[in-house]
Amino acid sequence: MAATRAGPRAREIFTSLEYGPVPESHACALAWLDTQDRCLGHYVNGKWLKPEHRNSVPCQDPITGENLASCLQAQAEDVAAAVEAARMAFKGWSAHPGVVRAQHLTRLAEVIQKHQRLLWTLESLVTGRAVREVRDGDVQLAQQLLHYHAIQASTQEEALAGWEPMGVIGLILPPTFSFLEMMWRICPALAVGCTVVALVPPASPAPLLLAQLAGELGPFPGILNVLSGPASLVPILASQPGIRKVAFCGAPEEGRALRRSLAGECAELGLALGTESLLLLTDTADVDSAVEGVVDAAWSDRGPGGLRLLIQESVWDEAMRRLQERMGRLRSGRGLDGAVDMGARGAAACDLVQRFVREAQSQGAQVFQAGDVPSERPFYPPTLVSNLPPASPCAQVEAPSLVGGPWRAEPPGHPLQVPWPVVVASPFRTAKEALLVANGTPRGGSASVWSERLGQALELGYGLQVGTVWINAHGLRDPSVPTGGCKESGCSWHGGPDGLYEYLRPSGTPARLSCLSKNLNYDTFGLAVPSTLPAGPEIGPSPAPPYGLFVGGRFQAPGARSSRPIRDSSGNLHGYVAEGGAKDIRGAVEAAHQAFPGWAGQSPGARAALLWALAAALERRKSTLASRLERQGAELKAAEAEVELSARRLRAWGARVQAQGHTLQVAGLRGPVLRLREPLGVLAVVCPDEWPLLAFVSLLAPALAYGNTVVMVPSAACPLLALEVCQDMATVFPAGLANVVTGDRDHLTRCLALHQDVQAMWYFGSAQGSQFVEWASAGNLKPVWASRGCPRAWDQEAEGAGPELGLRVARTKALWLPMGD
Amino acid sequence: MSAHNRGTELDLSWISKIQVNHPAVLRRAEQIQARRTVKKEWQAAWLLKAVTFIDLTTLSGDDTSSNIQRLCYKAKYPIREDLLKALNMHDKGITTAAVCVYPARVCDAVKALKAAGCNIPVASVAAGFPAGQTHLKTRLEEIRLAVEDGATEIDVVINRSLVLTGQWEALYDEIRQFRKACGEAHLKTILATGELGTLTNVYKASMIAMMAGSDFIKTSTGKETVNATFPVAIVMLRAIRDFFWKTGNKEELGDEWLKPELFRIGASTLLSDIERQIYHHVTGRYAAYHDLPMS
Repeated sequence: MAATRAGPRAREIFTSLEYGPVPESHACALAWLDTQDRCLGHYVNGKWLKPEHRNSVPCQDPITGENLASCLQAQAEDVAAAVEAARMAFKGWSAHPGVVRAQHLTRLAEVIQKHQRLLWTLESLVTGRAVREVRDGDVQLAQQLLHYHAIQASTQEEALAGWEPMGVIGLILPPTFSFLEMMWRICPALAVGCTVVALVPPASPAPLLLAQLAGELGPFPGILNVLSGPASLVPILASQPGIRKVAFCGAPEEGRALRRSLAGECAELGLALGTESLLLLTDTADVDSAVEGVVDAAWSDRGPGGLRLLIQESVWDEAMRRLQERMGRLRSGRGLDGAVDMGARGAAACDLVQRFVREAQSQGAQVFQAGDVPSERPFYPPTLVSNLPPASPCAQVEAPSLVGGPWRAEPPGHPLQVPWPVVVASPFRTAKEALLVANGTPRGGSASVWSERLGQALELGYGLQVGTVWINAHGLRDPSVPTGGCKESGCSWHGGPDGLYEYLRPSGTPARLSCLSKNLNYDTFGLAVPSTLPAGPEIGPSPAPPYGLFVGGRFQAPGARSSRPIRDSSGNLHGYVAEGGAKDIRGAVEAAHQAFPGWAGQSPGARAALLWALAAALERRKSTLASRLERQGAELKAAEAEVELSARRLRAWGARVQAQGHTLQVAGLRGPVLRLREPLGVLAVVCPDEWPLLAFVSLLAPALAYGNTVVMVPSAACPLLALEVCQDMATVFPAGLANVVTGDRDHLTRCLALHQDVQAMWYFGSAQGSQFVEWASAGNLKPVWASRGCPRAWDQEAEGAGPELGLRVARTKALWLPMGD
Repeated sequence: MSAHNRGTELDLSWISKIQVNHPAVLRRAEQIQARRTVKKEWQAAWLLKAVTFIDLTTLSGDDTSSNIQRLCYKAKYPIREDLLKALNMHDKGITTAAVCVYPARVCDAVKALKAAGCNIPVASVAAGFPAGQTHLKTRLEEIRLAVEDGATEIDVVINRSLVLTGQWEALYDEIRQFRKACGEAHLKTILATGELGTLTNVYKASMIAMMAGSDFIKTSTGKETVNATFPVAIVMLRAIRDFFWKTGNKEELGDEWLKPELFRIGASTLLSDIERQIYHHVTGRYAAYHDLPMS
């Protein structure tokens, strides 16, 4: 018999049946760090960049505290160098046909496959996450992402005709995200022809390794550049002149600050904020499976954040018992151990959760902790918090001080995010109440619904205001399914077609330029309305133009009870329109909100029928409209053409909205994923001065067709045409669908942009107004579309009715429906 | 041997609301397989533990007293003595949990085990095994005869048609009668989950079987096209836990359940796989087939 290798302990284990360590060797990760002499720089233009005289930050094993390497901190000049490299690379990369980019992405996927052990051990070693999740989840998904986007790149010329890549993308990642978050964003960007500069927090080597693997592939070294540096570099990177878009993921408050600081700057901004998720457990659910869903969401190192758990009151006791029993069997330990559910995430995450739990306890919440968890820092046990009502002060962060007057862009206080690995459970009574509670937060990330009743599950799935809903599952992801959010989770998308459009812009449109005006005073912009005096008697055109604000389906007198004169092209007084103000905007938004559920619930066919009815009414009113346009200086022929084109736009959008949303088939999942296109809610539109009829209708038509209700500020030069259309809308539409407020453009813009309950805003006007709208939108992070003073050819199909409008007018929701019996 | 499960009155409210979500259980099954591994000494100890859960079984038409005898010796000495010595486990009395045979072979097995000088229980399949499609009267008689021959554990199959048509009271009554026919012998109820249609039915059948007084519930006969699978095991374990919660027993399905009195594995080829693993653990080499005695 050969020499025995058995240890002495088998006897005891036979009795105790405990688990032992299953360590994954991380020798290759250390060996890779050795190739860099344990000093990591940045990876720029296919080379390691290790400039001298830079501060360095230690990269530590979050569990042992052992120093693994030191990481150089980038400075502004390193950022400039990386952006320059990406800009140079963009020229070649975007000029190649999609097939070439597809090949390159496929080769990168193959390289990752060949070196996956290095990638997963390095990631698990440095982040402390369970290696199983990185190995079986993240690394596999990273390869799938590259393959999926390679296919998209190869068909780009046909499938995405009419769109071109934006340019250099600045990607900003927060400390708690895995390298996979970077992959979700760089894959679509690279696929469509953009190049990337990623700013990762100090001491995150996995993105650097990925950049090295990509860079060593050869012909396109500068397409992916990775810098590591402190958060103070974020505004520097974002305001680099070469950067066309900033994709930011991180905390909501940082996103808000970045939104403000980028107002008027050259770069566009895509935000993905917050990490919290939601789980709805109804009384028809398979409770044990739902408990596993909670484990997937919060206690398996899959999701980055905590979970809000809503449990129907009738199964509360049963669910809590099962949950607590399950928690007792969770194991936590070193991430590189193959048999743990949860790793640890370093001291900062540990401090955060300790603070949250202490706060919650002091507010009277019950805290339950269990599991096989090492007692020393930075391990933290799975935690279940209950009895924390939404109104308790713990659920709100401190309101920022009220200095700055009533026009601050900062709303007072946001619910605190639930941190990893905490689950906050609260009860609900009915499905209706569940929707109210679930939607009653500013967050709109992801949620799962657990119910065995199909009707109830779909009701909740459609009703939740979030980007992703899983029915009877949690945390599934696939490259072909768009993932994103709404409300204050930010409205950027990755994955699927939506992820591609994030990095595309319509071909041929002029490059987005900076419209930054340093001396724009946000506190006073549009605050006061210049007083208007009578400008003489109206020389009555016949019939007399309608007077009043069109709110809630009828013409109303303005709150200010004053009017402003409108002059025609030759300077004569054309008529008076009502002078709308803050209170009128408030009333209009309320009316739009009241009309919204009914309108959004209509079928696309029913909505199209009403748009067609409006088109017919416009045609009947053609001579009046044409004569009004003539008074604005248009030739009769052109005026008539504008009226006809307006009617056509209404019909076209009515028809187009019939085919929206579709079903996706996902690898490894039985059952469909629905990609829904849902209305945004109440959309505020400030119309351009030019094309007083056509622009108004071109913006109104898609907004209504997709089920939004609108508050519109018509052309300041000639609002009368919009008011003429309102006369028809009063008879054709239900009350409140479209509300038109005339008045001082800057003042109304200010009121709308700062309104917390307006879900999106389109602004076509001055550069200053655009800058203000972008700045003010930080309040509720509403998506904004601002023209920045650039005129638009509304009579051209591409600019007046192009796919860009269809994209901006609705938001995507992915609804996962796994099947099986 | 532990005490019998006395069962409870039939309470259909325990199963009326239950819903098992199939895709979710499949995902859980995949996770379990990826999340808990044991290595080195832990692996060896766990494998030896698994040996003590095995119902070492032969259920073939060509069973005779000679291969039954061989099986019984293997049950007594499941792992080579020198391997156990190397692990310092030779004095732990490691045997399989039981020997399981057809009713006609029970006498052979009892005799062989007696000759081997050990008190491993003999389990007999019964009640129209494997399909259960015989008259209730003959099924009950089969149980009584097997007990008379010396079987101390009876593996009955349930009447699948009662499950598929939702006749839960009738199923309860049948198993109750099996229970009575077993007398002092343990009643092990095989659900034949591959033929129950849904996981929800698996849960309900498990619950009924336990209410009716089964000491064990088993997944499958080995004769269906689909036999023991992870998802089915998960559902049955959840049902067992719920049954014990409902009957006021505070035990949870944790380590306390891992003893041969409460947990069994009905797989016979598993034993040779385990022995090979132990061989590798002790020697660092992979065994040839002839290195390990056959059963």
